[in-house]
Amino acid sequence: MITSLQLHLSKVFLKIFLRDVQSMIFNIFFPLAFIGIFLVSGGGSESINIGVVDNASSITSKNFIDLIKNDPLFEVTEGDEVYLKNQLLEGDQLAIIVVPENFDYLEGTSELKLLLDASQVRQINQIKTTIEKSLVSVERELSNTEPMFSLKVEDFKARPQRYIDFLLPGLLAFMLMNLSLGGSGFNIVEYRRRGILKRLFVTPIQPKDFITAIVLARMMIVVIQLSAVLLFAILLLGVRIEGSLFSLYGMIMLSTFIFLCLGFCFGSFAKTQEAIRPLVTSFTFPQLILSGVFFPINSLPDIIQPVAQLLPLSVVVTGLRNIALDGSGLFTIDSSMFGIIIWVLLSFFLATKYFVWKEVAG
Amino acid sequence: MNIIEVKDLKKSYLKPENKNESFNAVDGISFNILAKEIYGILGPNGAGKTTTLEMLEGLKDIDSGTAMINGIDVEKKPYQVKKIIGVQLQANEYFDKLNLSELLVLFGKLYSVDVDCIDLLEKVGLSEKLKAKPKQLSGGQKQRFSIACALVNNPKILFLDEPTTGLDPQAKRNLWNLVKDLNHSGMTIVLTTHNMEEAEYLCNRIAIMDAGKIIAEDTPQELINQYAPEPSDLPLQGNIEDVFLTLTGHNLRD
Repeated sequence: MITSLQLHLSKVFLKIFLRDVQSMIFNIFFPLAFIGIFLVSGGGSESINIGVVDNASSITSKNFIDLIKNDPLFEVTEGDEVYLKNQLLEGDQLAIIVVPENFDYLEGTSELKLLLDASQVRQINQIKTTIEKSLVSVERELSNTEPMFSLKVEDFKARPQRYIDFLLPGLLAFMLMNLSLGGSGFNIVEYRRRGILKRLFVTPIQPKDFITAIVLARMMIVVIQLSAVLLFAILLLGVRIEGSLFSLYGMIMLSTFIFLCLGFCFGSFAKTQEAIRPLVTSFTFPQLILSGVFFPINSLPDIIQPVAQLLPLSVVVTGLRNIALDGSGLFTIDSSMFGIIIWVLLSFFLATKYFVWKEVAG
Repeated sequence: MNIIEVKDLKKSYLKPENKNESFNAVDGISFNILAKEIYGILGPNGAGKTTTLEMLEGLKDIDSGTAMINGIDVEKKPYQVKKIIGVQLQANEYFDKLNLSELLVLFGKLYSVDVDCIDLLEKVGLSEKLKAKPKQLSGGQKQRFSIACALVNNPKILFLDEPTTGLDPQAKRNLWNLVKDLNHSGMTIVLTTHNMEEAEYLCNRIAIMDAGKIIAEDTPQELINQYAPEPSDLPLQGNIEDVFLTLTGHNLRD
């Protein structure tokens, strides 16, 4: 199916891409730097620094503070109010709990104060819930009542998941999108501008030979670069891939194909290097935000979600995440696989329809 | 024997300043080129020289008319034609990251032939530059390398589009000698130029083109005899430049 000319040509393109050391480094720098940040910050577990002012100094308040301390969500510092408030202002503490003197008086309700800068604290609800839970259990102890209900949470998928596990497939998808668009669209425009395409097409080469060669060479580049990032994440951060590597790489190849095809479209539309840059940016940037690379799509506003889910990067991110986190296979029929197939067909159709060869060459 | 036969060739473009109007870049030209001759298409900028060549090379669609190369219809079988021609384009840029021998091997592959890089580079006087990148070449060396690339398939016909534009006199002479040598080895050569000296020195026959039409075609000597005005106070005969200016007028072209 692949001719020796196509194979030779793809080797040539691979050589060209690999000799472009600068772009190789820049392409791999961003994801590695990101993973590096997680490495330094201790693998992505993020605890909240919280100060506690104990004005009651009783057994009950100690019990309450111990409960808070035992919660993995918090990193507790005890101290007096003035000192802790200064720390809050400087950002060393995210919140301060002030336990009042009348904490364990049995008559009346004693009021705890939670001081924080609401604009700085994303996890405000989480903090409130945990504190309330601790208060309820202290109250039960004091009033000697057994809890009527207890809620036991079991992760039925039973796998540890950290943010980095969630993030990695998103980063890989974002990387492969940029590599593919850069490798098809930008290259076409650049080769056309410099007359290289024209020079190639006075020889008997056929357009399909040229495109096949670029697609093959780019897929190799994507596999090499993504493997480097993957290896880094697996070895240094202990990221686990639940699904098979076959499925993961299969999904990577399909996704690369989608973005290469779209890149060829952009390359045909944009006549100059100045035009293709904003065109590609206006395609990639919204997807960086809307496609669930950094946080799940269902945390977006409800109105945007249905649209966001249709974006090509979204189906790729979801597809990769299903394989990496949930262990789905490449041939598992689910909505993300359906989305991938639709985008493969659509992008291929667009690329063949709008890739005007004569115009591209000259 | 005619190796190229062109009849009523036409190509029109939309005017860049007014997209609703078109103009004929090539306006119904006809000419024949004999095997093993050097044929020059001489004309000012925008005369339609490059468009004519690009239609013959299969790079641009032919609007109307026919072009036969070695008995093959260019419009119907462009890939057959591409196999037997060698082309040097005005822009001679190549992939930066490949050296000359890698580029020659690549071009060879495009014709499914194995290339003897050393032999080819020797032919154009670049045997020292086997491992050099195109960017490291001077203007003249670049043009000669372009010709080496055009020779990988040992073509019957070599098209050269303004091969000496921008070269210094030494490089120009050197390239002319190369073209003569190739022609002596039996290659038909078609070149465009607006360099009179070049047309006069190299070409067996010249077509003068202006505004999409061929306005004169003959050997350089015949053209001079016919069109160069008698110099009024000098006993010398005029040259091809005089012929050219008489025919195309003295207005500046862009």
